[in-house]
Amino acid sequence: MLQTKRLNAGYKELHILFDVDATINSKGITAVVGPNGSGKSTFLKAIFGLATVHSGKVEYNGEDITKVPPHNRTKMGIAYLPQVDNVFSNLTVEENLKIAGYTLEKTELKDRIDLALDVFPELQNFMKRKAGTLSGGERQFLAIATALVRKSEFLMLDEPTAQLSPKFAEHVFDKIVELRDKLKLTILLVEQNVQRALEISDNAYLLVSGRVAFDGKANELLEHEKFEKLCMGIQD
Amino acid sequence: MAFEAEVLEGAIIYSNLLVLLSIGLTITYITTAVPNFAQGSFAVFGSYIALTMLRLFGIHPYYSIPIALIFGGLLGVAVYLFILKPLIDREAEIVILMIATLALDLILLGFLGAYSDYLGGITKKAAKKFIFTPYDFNIGNISAIFIVSIIVIAIILASLFLLLYKTKFGVALRASMENPALAEIMGVNVEYTRIFSWFLSGSLATVAGCLLPFRQEIVPLTGSIIIVSIFAASIVGGLASIYGALIGGYIVGISESLVTYQLSTILGSGVLVYSKVVSLIVLVVMLILAPQGLTGVKWRKIKWLKSILS
Ligand SMILES: Nc1ncnc2c1ncn2[C@@H]1O[C@H](COP(=O)(O)OP(=O)(O)OP(=O)(O)O)[C@@H](O)[C@H]1O
Ligand SMILES: [Mg+2]
Repeated sequence: MLQTKRLNAGYKELHILFDVDATINSKGITAVVGPNGSGKSTFLKAIFGLATVHSGKVEYNGEDITKVPPHNRTKMGIAYLPQVDNVFSNLTVEENLKIAGYTLEKTELKDRIDLALDVFPELQNFMKRKAGTLSGGERQFLAIATALVRKSEFLMLDEPTAQLSPKFAEHVFDKIVELRDKLKLTILLVEQNVQRALEISDNAYLLVSGRVAFDGKANELLEHEKFEKLCMGIQD
Repeated sequence: MAFEAEVLEGAIIYSNLLVLLSIGLTITYITTAVPNFAQGSFAVFGSYIALTMLRLFGIHPYYSIPIALIFGGLLGVAVYLFILKPLIDREAEIVILMIATLALDLILLGFLGAYSDYLGGITKKAAKKFIFTPYDFNIGNISAIFIVSIIVIAIILASLFLLLYKTKFGVALRASMENPALAEIMGVNVEYTRIFSWFLSGSLATVAGCLLPFRQEIVPLTGSIIIVSIFAASIVGGLASIYGALIGGYIVGISESLVTYQLSTILGSGVLVYSKVVSLIVLVVMLILAPQGLTGVKWRKIKWLKSILS
């Protein structure tokens, strides 16, 4: 379980998140939705230690991790897929997958890479190519694959379906459900495709201007009378 | 124009050493964004290590290379941890870091000056100004330093290549150079890669410094002069890539040696003191033709080159 307690965070002096209280339950999918610029990505970065925390706490399984350096959070089992710049363009696909499992033993790394390639078999054709030469969609596959290589219990995905055609986006949504059901991962999912995200999620948070505007069951938000309106606010 | 073998040999030796220095400068610039103006004095530090070994223990400078490498690495790490990192942690801008390395250069200069007096005092031999050419020997018709400098650069480049492309840490190092935040996300302790890059840079500089006295006279101030060529080489290479530094080092090193030599045959040996001007001219011409440096050039987009390649 991951919790944030009255989290105020941003970039240096810039204040983006205000008093965010959130509880991300284990073994479920929690969606974070909200308009552009509402602070969704900042929320994930703050949880991972890549944004400035002004006050408040981040707790993982009851332990205060607010001051733990990001690379050690990886070792604790937290994985984070950033929205942008999420692969190393100058490294080959193979090197990207290897570096993703930096904290793993050699044999384990091989197993994890095999697992990631099972999910995205198309990557096998590009192993020796530099990631910078992949198409936007292929690069996104690689990015998600690297998140799978990292052995984690808690996985944060920032817009994993961005840049993907509807068919592939659906493929990714299926995979996310599979990660929850088969690998029993805890997933924190930021998505622009609000409808689909809420359909597969258990819980949901709505962020507006850096504050929590709704928290509860995902289907409640889906059926919320204001949902349409929220979505309109969200989508433009 | 034809050059005597000796002149070409000298140019290659000098370029090999310059490449070591410009690679070091580039690596720390990529990983920590510090333009290290003390890199030249790091090399002179290496020269003095070799001199000390020679005068106190009778160890030939070629055998001092491993010792210089370790001390140079430690110097690099100490400079990073005690001078630069505290500034970087306070979010110092690049200008501040630059001034810090200039100050460091002055401190090293003072230290080397004082040390040379001390060494001269206890050995009763001048240490303020020295050269190793009397200790060199010939292998066949070729001077040993020519062969040694080639062996050293070959070993270093090969190890660097193996490290960067064949080891896990090397891949992490390249990943951290490209995107430190993402490397952290993957579980890489990026700070280690920064410390390592300073070790590497310091050790490459002192290794070069060990061999430099076979080519030219060393005084404590030598570092402040040679830094001009080091920067020229790195900037010609684009300051963002190790390959760039390699190619830049050879371009600057060879042109500096040969052009200066050519001019000296016409104008007399007085022009030798202006050799650094040649480096700067190469730099200026380069910046006009390719403002991003060599590695920033889209080679495939150049028409005449395309026609040659196809
Ligand atoms: N590195 C940064 N430095 C300064 N400000 C930033 C930085 N990253 C984001 N911001 C600002 O923080 C605010 C929240 O951005 P954030 O990326 O968290 O929004 P988001 O909800 O993820 O938006 P989107 O849906 O467009 O991805 C924005 O106003 C943005 O301009
Ligand atoms: Mg975002």
